[in-house]
Amino acid sequence: MKKFQILFAIVVICSLLLAACATPTPEKIIETVIVEKAGEKVIETVEVLVTPTPAPKEKKLEIFHWWTAPGEREAADAMFAALKDAYPDITVVENPVPGGGGTEHRVVLKARITAGIPPDTFQTLGGAELKDYVDSNVLQPLDDFYAETGYADVIPKPLLNAVTINGHPYSVPLNMHLENILYYNLKLFNELGLSAPTGYDDLIAACKAIKAAKPEMSCLAVGSKDNWSDVFVLDTIMLELGGPEYYVKFFKGEIDVANDPIFKESLQKFAALQEYSNMSDHSTLTWDQAVSAVGSEQAAMTIMGTWAIGAFTKGSNWQPGVDFGAVNYPTKPDRILLFHPDTYGCTVGAPDQEECMNWLKVVASPELQIPTDVTQGGMFARTDIDPKEFPDPIRQEMQEYVSKNPDKLILDQHGTILPNPAQVQYRVIISTFFASEKPDVEGTIKAVADMMTTFNVKEGASWYQWP
Amino acid sequence: MIATDLQKAQKAKRKRANVIEFLVFTFPLLFFLSILYGTLLWNVYVSMSNWVSTAADYTFTGLKWYSYLFGQSRFWIDVQNNLKWLILGVIPTCVLAIFLAYLLELAPFPGVESYVRTLILYPVAMSFVVTGTIWSWMYQPEKGVFNTILGQLGIDSPLTYTNDPKLATYWLILIFVWQYLGFAVIIIQSSFRTSELQEMIEAATVDGASKIRILISVIIPNIRNGILVLVSLLLINTLKVFDIVWIVTRSGPGIATDVLATNMIVTAFDQRLASAGAAIGVIIFLLAFIIVVPYTIYAFRKWFE
Repeated sequence: MKKFQILFAIVVICSLLLAACATPTPEKIIETVIVEKAGEKVIETVEVLVTPTPAPKEKKLEIFHWWTAPGEREAADAMFAALKDAYPDITVVENPVPGGGGTEHRVVLKARITAGIPPDTFQTLGGAELKDYVDSNVLQPLDDFYAETGYADVIPKPLLNAVTINGHPYSVPLNMHLENILYYNLKLFNELGLSAPTGYDDLIAACKAIKAAKPEMSCLAVGSKDNWSDVFVLDTIMLELGGPEYYVKFFKGEIDVANDPIFKESLQKFAALQEYSNMSDHSTLTWDQAVSAVGSEQAAMTIMGTWAIGAFTKGSNWQPGVDFGAVNYPTKPDRILLFHPDTYGCTVGAPDQEECMNWLKVVASPELQIPTDVTQGGMFARTDIDPKEFPDPIRQEMQEYVSKNPDKLILDQHGTILPNPAQVQYRVIISTFFASEKPDVEGTIKAVADMMTTFNVKEGASWYQWP
Repeated sequence: MIATDLQKAQKAKRKRANVIEFLVFTFPLLFFLSILYGTLLWNVYVSMSNWVSTAADYTFTGLKWYSYLFGQSRFWIDVQNNLKWLILGVIPTCVLAIFLAYLLELAPFPGVESYVRTLILYPVAMSFVVTGTIWSWMYQPEKGVFNTILGQLGIDSPLTYTNDPKLATYWLILIFVWQYLGFAVIIIQSSFRTSELQEMIEAATVDGASKIRILISVIIPNIRNGILVLVSLLLINTLKVFDIVWIVTRSGPGIATDVLATNMIVTAFDQRLASAGAAIGVIIFLLAFIIVVPYTIYAFRKWFE
């Protein structure tokens, strides 16, 4: 027993010593000094107490993001290069977690937050995802930051609303992804004398013409493996039939879904599209595989966000305006842009507050947004950047439209108005509907209505203000 | 007096040694158990709390999240699919494995047999992520291997494999059977190799029993321990199936191939209903308990009879 006590004492002493080493303490140093003694110079050694100056605090910033795919990785590097240019002394500690849209990212981030060691800053969408972090008291309000930088004046109002929860902005958007874009095989359309569809009837007419000319080709490529690309298609139909106000009300839970004629008609029209899409394999394709189906001429069109431009140019080696065209869809009755942003905020209790604020300043700057957004595929969050910075005519035109008509932007269901639990369920319901041989309209309406009450969407989405 | 003192001292010494021995052997065990069962109990507690967003909320809510799950059609689809996996993942694998192992035993070329065994063992060395990816390529309706071969044979295949909501789960189970078959054969084959069984087979052969008769009446009743190990392993592996589903179909089309384990990830991290996710974890654990434990007890009893 005595041995054990001694051992314990040694451990305690050692840990005390280690603790002592952590703080700078005065040290004894032996110095040689020249002392004059009675006119003679004598060299003596003297012990002096010196407190060493503490080493300068290393400026570092821990960033969590999910941009690891080809094209996205380069965009992340562009972000950090911009930070390096502005603040050369900040060392970036990256914790990139692979996975588009951040599914795996969330697992790791949640673990870190629960453990009480959040990263300084992390990538998040706006809307309901951001609200979840705000409700969990993970992010700091950024009123001071916005007041100081005037960032609110240079971004569109709907974008500011997407990052404003309960009246306070909580994160800084660096881009906007537009969701409702129709990509089409331009050469084929020219060959058949078709023009880009502006609405559902146009789309069906174009599909009929394509089917007649190329029976082997499917008209609209859908990749629904991740359960969201097919929902984009339904979004466009709802937007066309109901208009922007209806769209927002629907996802805020303010529509009586069970008795709603517009949603019913949307589902019927959506089901009618099955005939023209790649029914044999859409359930096992991801969004980029659906894009490459267009690129390899197995399909004529696809509805996908701005990020598909990169997939066309890099994946299929197709040039915008030459091989493929892209338009906002639908443009009837109104040209509305559904969007969601990538944003960064600062976490509560993170160790590097000052560095984080500096990082946000860089995020808000054109120096970061131009190289990052051009590479990654979004639109600029700032409306004062010259649209000509984009290399492709598609985004040049869209950015110009955004800058002139910021009120046409609506946060999309993808990124998101619906609270997280409801949104995942909504995607699953719609995917099941589109994948089944005989789509069940009534059953789907009931499932969506149940979902709206189960997750209390009306209350959970009331924070979102549009227009 | 002196003798008793000495004895006492020795006794005390032995006692002390026993305490140390006890600590040495039980400490790792306790450490292991506390991590394993501690987290398990913690998970049970989380499933009864109200953790619904990023921040943890440990307010006790009883069985709220269990009743939420039971009200979700997705949960019942999961249970059905898990049962399909349990039945179709285990029974065909075992039956096929017994036949294949017997065929290998009967093979008239003993030198080649060991190479064949190595060959069929390879799939199990691959990760499910690799197998899943390869099979999802082969399953592609337009350009996959299977439909291309069928097309070459002049058959216009109507099969869409994992894209068909009704049949997708069965195609996924086929991947599992393929992957585990070699492993199962090895286990069954090794249980053939007891001298008693070999003697019995010889005796039966001398008596003029047919090969099939020997398999059914002599071999199968005598390889119970092999089947026990195999069935328990397969049961556990089918019950916790996640990777094949996640890689090949991501629970799709819609949620047609969803299983409890994939639902757990989606519920806990995409929907952010951590408590509901923990509840699914508890249910998987209970299922394992209900299915695997009685089987093991039953089989062990039979084994030691």
